[in-house]
Amino acid sequence: MKSISLYEEKHSFLNGLSPETKLLYVIVAIAVPVILGGRIPFFAFIAMSITLLAGSGVLRNTKTIVAVSGFILITVVIIQTFFRGGTFTELFRIGPLVARKEGFEYSLGIVLNVLNIIFCFCVFVLTTKPSDMMQEMVKHGISPRLGYVFVSLFQIIPQMTEHTSTITDAQRSRGMETEGSLATRIKAFLPLISPVIMNSFTDTRERSIALEVRGFSSTSKKSFLEDFVPSSADSGMRIALIVLFCASVAFTVLRVMGVIAWLR
Amino acid sequence: MSDKRTGNPWKVKMSTASLVLIPAAIGINYVGKLFASMLKLPLWLDSIGTCLSACLAGPIVGALSGLLTNVIYGLTMDPISTVYGLTQAGIGIAVGLMAWYGKVNKLPGIIVTGLLAGLVAVCISTPLNMIFWGGSTGNVWGDAVFAAMGSQGFLASLVDEIIVDLPDKIVVLLLTAGIYKVLPKSLVTLYQAKDESLD
Repeated sequence: MKSISLYEEKHSFLNGLSPETKLLYVIVAIAVPVILGGRIPFFAFIAMSITLLAGSGVLRNTKTIVAVSGFILITVVIIQTFFRGGTFTELFRIGPLVARKEGFEYSLGIVLNVLNIIFCFCVFVLTTKPSDMMQEMVKHGISPRLGYVFVSLFQIIPQMTEHTSTITDAQRSRGMETEGSLATRIKAFLPLISPVIMNSFTDTRERSIALEVRGFSSTSKKSFLEDFVPSSADSGMRIALIVLFCASVAFTVLRVMGVIAWLR
Repeated sequence: MSDKRTGNPWKVKMSTASLVLIPAAIGINYVGKLFASMLKLPLWLDSIGTCLSACLAGPIVGALSGLLTNVIYGLTMDPISTVYGLTQAGIGIAVGLMAWYGKVNKLPGIIVTGLLAGLVAVCISTPLNMIFWGGSTGNVWGDAVFAAMGSQGFLASLVDEIIVDLPDKIVVLLLTAGIYKVLPKSLVTLYQAKDESLD
């Protein structure tokens, strides 16, 4: 069945780690650079995430994710570089616009932070099967019923988006315009979205009956179809991440107390 | 649309019907956003599903639909949008409560609900915009104003978000109310049947 999940089974190092460990990596990779401060930790974690992704053979799958956020990042850089208020040092001029050093440096910080978040998230998202994520959540006490909702999403959304092109074509063949002035385009929205909504609600009724018939509301203990067995490196990785996190906290505390100087 | 309902809106039994409503609502959010970008509309229109499910099944289902929408965005397209799940959850709660108390009935009520949902969204999104994007929203109109206001500070970011969110949420609520009216009665009663036990 078609799924929107970006997960790919490559039998790689990252595929073998438990979802929990990878989530811990995400948290550590986001928190440690913020705790330490400066730019170097961001570069280090971005490089580490990229290395991990490349090692698992999924680096090219990051393309779509980077493209989505990359577009916003470009606008952020432009806005901050040319329009940031306050005193500024001129870098260069394009017509009436002055590029400002302070704004550019500020936007660079945002870019680094966002790229770091994107890449460490990719480590988690591209190498973890949605059903394994769900299993982990259920093991940690989330209701299996919500777990079903989570996993089913990956299949229901592509089903619904497949309908969209059919609906667009059908409405166009009736003479509806989807291009032109803003008013025309706004008018086109309702005829496009309402069939999707009606369809999905009808499906909802059928799905809830189908689930009930199969004992979805049963209160007996649920078991798992496949049990995820993490690789031997899993616990080692987890300890290393925790040590890294504690070390960065300790380092920052010592630095604030003035015991050690920040090496820059 | 929905009449005033009795009972505690926070203590709703999670029936199977409410649970399967969540994926449907998320799908509607997803498709709404897809159509809005296909038609190149200046609005997001990505919370129709959240509002519909909140009207049908109350604030908790609305909040869950909203939160999970952004979790799914985060897992499939844009990792940072995960944190904006909080915004969507806030919208779900606001709309769910207004609908529960029968305010999403006539045009003034619908617009007030839209404004309220928009304000909730602004209050939650602006700090997130500040933390992750230095204050900009990624929407052309809002960001143009943000740039004109010196592209820094909380106020500029707040105005940036208000310009986009308030019209967006009002349009979403109008669409939601319109769609809700034409929903089959058999579907609506699935969620709004009085809790009468047959035992």
